[in-house]
Amino acid sequence: MKTFSRRSFLKRTGVAAGAAAVTASPALAAAVEPAAVETPPSGPIPHEPIVAVVRDAGLGEVTVLAGTTEKTYKDRTLVKRLLKVAATNRGANAGEVG
Amino acid sequence: MSSHREAPEISKDPVADNADVYAFVSPENNGTVTIISNFVPLQGPAGGPNFYEFGDDVLYSIYIDNDGDAQPDIEFQFQFTSSLQNPKTFLYNTGPIGSLTDPNWNARQVYSVVRIDKGPQPPQIGPPVFPPGFPFSGPGPAFPPGATHTTVIGTNLPSPPCNIGPHSTPNYETALASQAVQSLANGVKVFAGQRSDPFYVDLGAIFDLADLRPLQTNPPFAIPPALPAANGVDATKALNIHSIAIQVPITSVTRDGKTPSSITSSNAVIGVWSAASRRKVRVIDSQQPDVDTGPWVQVSRLGNPLFNEVIVPLGQKDDWNKGFPAGDSEYLPNVQSPELASLISKVLYPSAFPKLAAYAKPRADMVAILLTGIPLGVIPTSFVSTGFVNLTGPTFADMLRLNLAVQPSNSPSVFGLLGMDPSGFPNGRRLFDDIVAIELRAIAGAVLPFVDKTFTADAAASALTQWTTEPVSASLSQPRYLNRFPYVGTPYDGFDTPSS
Repeated sequence: MKTFSRRSFLKRTGVAAGAAAVTASPALAAAVEPAAVETPPSGPIPHEPIVAVVRDAGLGEVTVLAGTTEKTYKDRTLVKRLLKVAATNRGANAGEVG
Repeated sequence: MSSHREAPEISKDPVADNADVYAFVSPENNGTVTIISNFVPLQGPAGGPNFYEFGDDVLYSIYIDNDGDAQPDIEFQFQFTSSLQNPKTFLYNTGPIGSLTDPNWNARQVYSVVRIDKGPQPPQIGPPVFPPGFPFSGPGPAFPPGATHTTVIGTNLPSPPCNIGPHSTPNYETALASQAVQSLANGVKVFAGQRSDPFYVDLGAIFDLADLRPLQTNPPFAIPPALPAANGVDATKALNIHSIAIQVPITSVTRDGKTPSSITSSNAVIGVWSAASRRKVRVIDSQQPDVDTGPWVQVSRLGNPLFNEVIVPLGQKDDWNKGFPAGDSEYLPNVQSPELASLISKVLYPSAFPKLAAYAKPRADMVAILLTGIPLGVIPTSFVSTGFVNLTGPTFADMLRLNLAVQPSNSPSVFGLLGMDPSGFPNGRRLFDDIVAIELRAIAGAVLPFVDKTFTADAAASALTQWTTEPVSASLSQPRYLNRFPYVGTPYDGFDTPSS
């Protein structure tokens, strides 16, 4: 069974380079971490991808699935960053002509 | 049908659709118990070029409860891996398949079998050793948290090809299917592959508001428009299915590792059910094969035949498939007041079932048959001379309950216990048990007088049948069942059964 941590998730998904700062001070981390940058995929989706599901944005709850594990965390910083990226996605889609 | 396409979600996912489960003391090997679980139902034998197979992305589980708490004490897990020998041909086979290693056989499947037991790993056994890349990820979803230990029973076991036709799969049973019966360590036999569907039912009649064909000129059942009386039509007689069959020593599944000495021994009754699970997340990408991740989530299960089909309301069937037997008290009201009993006695055939229609108490007989097992003394020795018990305890749980001390009958009745044959359903389930008739009669009140002495069953209850001639042998072109493991009959081939 694969082991997984929030740090490895952040590293794997490229959400943040300063994960240590996130755990020390979420508010500070949100302020100093660089924004997500859209990039073409560098390779295929991994065999068992790590998936994050924002379960309750208001509560800052995010469920992380990795391997055969599933755990839910309260992490307002991570949820905020994911929502921000999602909003960017939606904005891009809104401009598309179907 | 027993559980073929019985719920909205699983009807769209046949590879994971657990259609039936059977459990019986092996008739020619009484020291063993055989459990068969069927998936991928309603296969037209000619359904190529992508013939049927198990899902590589599905976890198939057979669970056994041996201490009466409706929680698994033992799980047998089966996981499959497919491969193409030649991806550049569109063909399943490029010539006759004469053996399980024939290079003409293109699309193949192998599987692994793992046994999981509740409790810590015995120190004398040590930790399980998995081959590289072995797809093991722990107990199935039904297992509660706690220590378990794992034994790898078999890896890289071949599943036979589908039965294509006389040019592609000549000598199918001898050269292919029987070669796929694997005898493993500690007296275990396994088989996984295509078979003819052992379940028989007149689907057209059942789902046309239960207008059983033989009864159509019988006055209480003759409702407009008038229909001719006729023998039932076995809707599954030429359809195939995929079977997972395992035979193990009885001593390997009882709670104390011993053979029950009598039907009342504390170790005599086991609960059996099976299930299919999928990973929680699938990522579909246009540039690569689909990938799955997350924990296994149960999507289909089966204990007693027809439970989800007939007892559980349509709006709850998907939830039932995701649940576990230990939580089945949720469905107690549906068992105590079966909708079908009300339908046949108050709506469809009120003149046939006036006593059933007037019965207002909770149906303790159905609770015993489907949710707890039947206590000793309920079935009188005047009916079954040996007496009968398959009670597992007070927990309401949909499991097949098999009393391992009941020996196979030399003259079995397809009506099982109702036919005074305690070695058939609801004592486990054999391939040939006429489940539809047994459950229709039970729901109509045939068993209720044993439980409630104030009730007398309507005469029509024991008249409920689909057949004037049982379809098990005479009307079939080939034997539906084998007299040896895996007992399920040879699958129909597509050339000789081009339309079904």
